[in-house]
Amino acid sequence: MKAILRLIEYDFKNFFRYKWWLVGLISMNLADLFIMAVIYNQMVSPEIIQLITSYFSFFAPGVTVVGLFASAFMIGREINMEVRRQIHHYMLSLPITRIELALGRLLAGGMRGMMYMSPLLLTTFLVVGFPSLPQFFVILGALFLLATGISGLSIAIAASTTSFEKFVTARGLVYYVLFFCSSIFYPLSLIQNLGRDGVLPQPIVVLAELNPLSSGADLIRSFLLGNPPFQLTMVRNLTVFSAIFAVVATFAYLKIIQQK
Amino acid sequence: MKQMKQLLLVVERDLRMFLQYKFLIIMRAIWFTAQVAFFGLIAARMVVPALAEVYFEYYVAGVVVMTLYSASVFIGYDIFEEAEHGVFEYLLSLPVSRKELVLGRSIGGGIRSFIFVGPVIAITLLVIGLSNPVNLLIALLALFLFAFGVSGMSITIAVGLKSGDRFDILMGVLNAFIIRLSTTMYPLAFIQDASQIYASLAFFNPLTFASDLFRWGVGIEKYLTMTPMPLLAVLGLVIFFSLFTLFSVTIYERRLEGGGWQ
Repeated sequence: MKAILRLIEYDFKNFFRYKWWLVGLISMNLADLFIMAVIYNQMVSPEIIQLITSYFSFFAPGVTVVGLFASAFMIGREINMEVRRQIHHYMLSLPITRIELALGRLLAGGMRGMMYMSPLLLTTFLVVGFPSLPQFFVILGALFLLATGISGLSIAIAASTTSFEKFVTARGLVYYVLFFCSSIFYPLSLIQNLGRDGVLPQPIVVLAELNPLSSGADLIRSFLLGNPPFQLTMVRNLTVFSAIFAVVATFAYLKIIQQK
Repeated sequence: MKQMKQLLLVVERDLRMFLQYKFLIIMRAIWFTAQVAFFGLIAARMVVPALAEVYFEYYVAGVVVMTLYSASVFIGYDIFEEAEHGVFEYLLSLPVSRKELVLGRSIGGGIRSFIFVGPVIAITLLVIGLSNPVNLLIALLALFLFAFGVSGMSITIAVGLKSGDRFDILMGVLNAFIIRLSTTMYPLAFIQDASQIYASLAFFNPLTFASDLFRWGVGIEKYLTMTPMPLLAVLGLVIFFSLFTLFSVTIYERRLEGGGWQ
């Protein structure tokens, strides 16, 4: 446990080295919320407003999840860099078992996402409303699962790409598909309706339904806005996503650090 | 004639460098596809009926301008790469004047952004259609000035700051606000309804001039911001381009030598 905590501390210290990146991300998240969402508030049709109360309230949980995703994904960039520069040889020389090493990196990535996301979640509570204490703990638990899954996904991508360019391209693909094919920007029911009307292909609708970002954002909305209603499938999606990528990332990381 | 040749050599070098960034080109292509195929398509079903009829086309045209902007900004990052690897000193040793160097880099930045958005514009024309080729030609010429101006702006900031970290922070913040406070994503009438301050900032934003011009060029005339068109938007872009070209030449000449890159 102590070894894992040391690794988390190591990764947290690394995280604060990316001050410029954090400032850019914060600006983008705040601009999305206080400019884009405020303007979309005026553009959204009355039928959609009936579903979401206001676009601003609807989007605030979405931007929290976006921030969580981007910051938890950062660990992959560092691991990719370590692999390319062979820093993993140094990591292997530390008095830490390999499994502790893999778990420490995975948890650190998730916790960094949680830390970055906290002010955004607080902003969401301030502008939309506060949940009850049990709901608050469910939100935190769900977001931790999401952050760990994202950290695992980024480690798995980082370990399976040999160059930084390939990692960046794969990251871009994952980012955009998961962001835009989710309920972060628009209600899931709208995506489902477009699927029924034949505007969107059915696989896209299924992807949006199973997307952990949809589940994370909708879970916060269910407690703060009451719509969509809370469903156990949201927690199930997050748990499955987190479990799959935690296992995949652990094995991928173990494999990559043992390379000659 | 000799000066022109030197200028062209600088332009050619920047064009060749850009083609090395294949991963960046792939990334922006994925971004464009996701913006159009997901966000544009779904958001068009979410907006008020009066806007819904044109919103998809309106948004696609805005995404073209955003892509052009982000490609033009990239030259600033190139400058840092060169400073970091000591290529700057090599450039200074060449028989090319400072003015030629900065003008060549701005032109190169503009042209390569245009090459980059060429396929994007072609896809957009397939989606939207083309109503008046002369209007489109005027719009594209004005958009070149826009790309040229943005490259000049990026060079000015990069050379003015001489710090990779500060440049990254400033560009990150600037990109976040300049795109959202423009008419690339939404018409000015809705920005006005949301906030008069946002609307005033959006009205003088070069991205608003560029988006309006491109939409006018492809025949999306509903919700245009500037009247009379295209005069006002072209005038805005000419001012933007002249200001930043002048600034970039002056600042580049003054700040280029003496090291101090961080």
